[in-house]
Amino acid sequence: MATKKKVTRKNTTTNKAKAKTKTPEETSSAMDNPYISASFWKAMWIICSISVLLEFFIHRHKHFEDLESSVLGNISNWFGFYGMFGLIACSGSILLAKGLSVFLKANEDYYDDTP
Amino acid sequence: MTLLNNIPPAFLLIIGAFVLLILPARARKVGAIALAFFGVYAVSQLIEGSNVTPEFLGFDLTLLRVDSTSKSFGYIFTLSAFGALIFSWSERCRLQNTAALVYVGSALGVVFAGDMISWYLFWELMAISSTFLILARNNKRSRLAAQRYILVHLGGGLVLLTGILLTIHETGSIDFTKENIYQNTVAKNFILIGILINAAAVPFSSWLPDAYPESTIFGGVILSAYTTKTAVYTLVRGFPGEEILIPIGCIMAVYGIIYALLENDIRRILAYSIINQVGFMICGIGIGTKLAIAGVVASTFCSIIYTSLLWMAAGAVMYRTNKSKCTELGGLYKTMPITMVLVMIGALAVSGAPLTSGFISKTLITAAAEHQNYLWTWLALKVASAGIMLHTGIKFPFFVFFNVDRGLRPKEAPRAMIAGMSLMAFLCIYLGLNPGQLYSIIPNSDILVEQDSFYAIYIKHFDHVATKFQMLLFSGLSFFLFLPMLKRTRTISIDFDWFYRKGAKLLYSGIDKTFNSINRAAEHIVIKTFLPSLVKFIINAPASLTIMLFRPIWEESLSADKTNIKKREQKIISQFSSGTFPVAYSAIFILIFIAILIFLGRSLS
Repeated sequence: MATKKKVTRKNTTTNKAKAKTKTPEETSSAMDNPYISASFWKAMWIICSISVLLEFFIHRHKHFEDLESSVLGNISNWFGFYGMFGLIACSGSILLAKGLSVFLKANEDYYDDTP
Repeated sequence: MTLLNNIPPAFLLIIGAFVLLILPARARKVGAIALAFFGVYAVSQLIEGSNVTPEFLGFDLTLLRVDSTSKSFGYIFTLSAFGALIFSWSERCRLQNTAALVYVGSALGVVFAGDMISWYLFWELMAISSTFLILARNNKRSRLAAQRYILVHLGGGLVLLTGILLTIHETGSIDFTKENIYQNTVAKNFILIGILINAAAVPFSSWLPDAYPESTIFGGVILSAYTTKTAVYTLVRGFPGEEILIPIGCIMAVYGIIYALLENDIRRILAYSIINQVGFMICGIGIGTKLAIAGVVASTFCSIIYTSLLWMAAGAVMYRTNKSKCTELGGLYKTMPITMVLVMIGALAVSGAPLTSGFISKTLITAAAEHQNYLWTWLALKVASAGIMLHTGIKFPFFVFFNVDRGLRPKEAPRAMIAGMSLMAFLCIYLGLNPGQLYSIIPNSDILVEQDSFYAIYIKHFDHVATKFQMLLFSGLSFFLFLPMLKRTRTISIDFDWFYRKGAKLLYSGIDKTFNSINRAAEHIVIKTFLPSLVKFIINAPASLTIMLFRPIWEESLSADKTNIKKREQKIISQFSSGTFPVAYSAIFILIFIAILIFLGRSLS
């Protein structure tokens, strides 16, 4: 749907924040759903894979050697730990925030009647 | 200039601030920038060791305690003031100019204070002067926010004062040192809570996202740097290795992530990002080793730079678009490309990406946790550094500059704003590439000798660089994977300020309901029921009594002619209400009355 529209693409200094934008005439509900281009996804996956594959070529120094017996201490030395950790930690934060938003969200005028 | 060796920089800025008050606009703006620059120079001229000890209330104050810790904070405080004053060239008014310089000056006062009395005095001056930066926005919301801000800080100041007075009472010494503070446990706890309120520790955190986003554009930039960082400084001085700070810091870091993800207003996202970063530092203070303290000071130094940069960028966007919400912004990269590039530098630095200042500072704290084998702390710090990538590193630039085009075509930020932001962005990269420059001024730099070069950090320990990149990339990936969930709505999130905002209202309405219902009940019983019936009784009693007295006589004499009796009753009632009686009745009453009196007089005697 969105690919048919006139789109502008911008490569940023970091190749992370690429986004396609739609024309402003579109309805607000469609506008609130940002569209991420397929090529951005492709680039993202490739870079992420490279960052993991890089581990084959480097010597990682061991963390928590005194805690060899501890499972977590060992996990931190697993292959691809940091990628998994980043993914899990951030996904977890987003899901937690989403869950809590049920209790925490309020209208913008929520405090308007308070001193 | 040996003269400067003994002048507390706080006085330079505070006195200068008031002198500038009387100057015309242009001279005032130039003067403020020159003053901040002079402040950086004055800090660099200070010689290590304590001096300047005026007497106050029988105590010898120490207005200058110069060592590497206080000097590092002094440098960054004056440097970020310099950047912020350049940034605000076109926006800064007379009030803000003076308030900001007094605020920065008093923050320097706290940093160089060697005793608890001058610490406390400067601490309160900070609270008061910073309030003006919120008030300067000059609308109803900012006035109310300023009111809440100053109340929280005065409350926190009183808790701190209680602790300080207890300590002085216990030890007789006003020294601002860990040994002196730890003499009395109760006093120590009061001081700790007083500082933690200023550090925006959970649950005393809500004042920060409540007040800072309501300040002016310049006010936000200035406020973001000092209050919480001064609290970090006092914790470094008074509470290194205090273990309770580790969980407090971890909670702050996670709390900052969650709320920043929920937030819609860009400056409120940055406000929660400050709490996340301060949590990181407080955790480091809790670890308390030499490496951790070096990491805390380095992190504070770098954090002030990139936080200022991001607040400046948010301010520039607000200045040009008059909007501050993710739901109203988007697609600004087209017309504000320079601002966007500078924001990306700040975003990378705040995320701790290699080659930026975030990488060379935050890693010291995580390394300290690792050296101490604090596995859970290490994991929490890793979560915090992954999370900050999510909300400040990607969410903020993405929703402002990319996301969807809402048809906004503002001009690029003014040149002065670009200049201020560029200075900060330059420092982010310069320090990232030259870690030795930063490591040479922070405390405990002797343990960092082997890591203070570009080669040692980026080439020799390339595995750290690679793993950090990996973590950041996958954090970014999860942002885009969950993007539909992160779609912003026009809502706010309820924070701890609920208790004193809605709570105060509930208390008020509770009191209102309780006392006013008692009031209403009393009114109903006394005023509406009792008093009218009393009045009615007093008015009607004489007539009714007389009728009661006469009725048997009439019934006898008039042989129960009801209409006749009724007529006579009506006549008596009208005679009582108008006060007109035939003489005979009056005479009879007087006689009866006299008879009663005589009878009573007889029986009593």
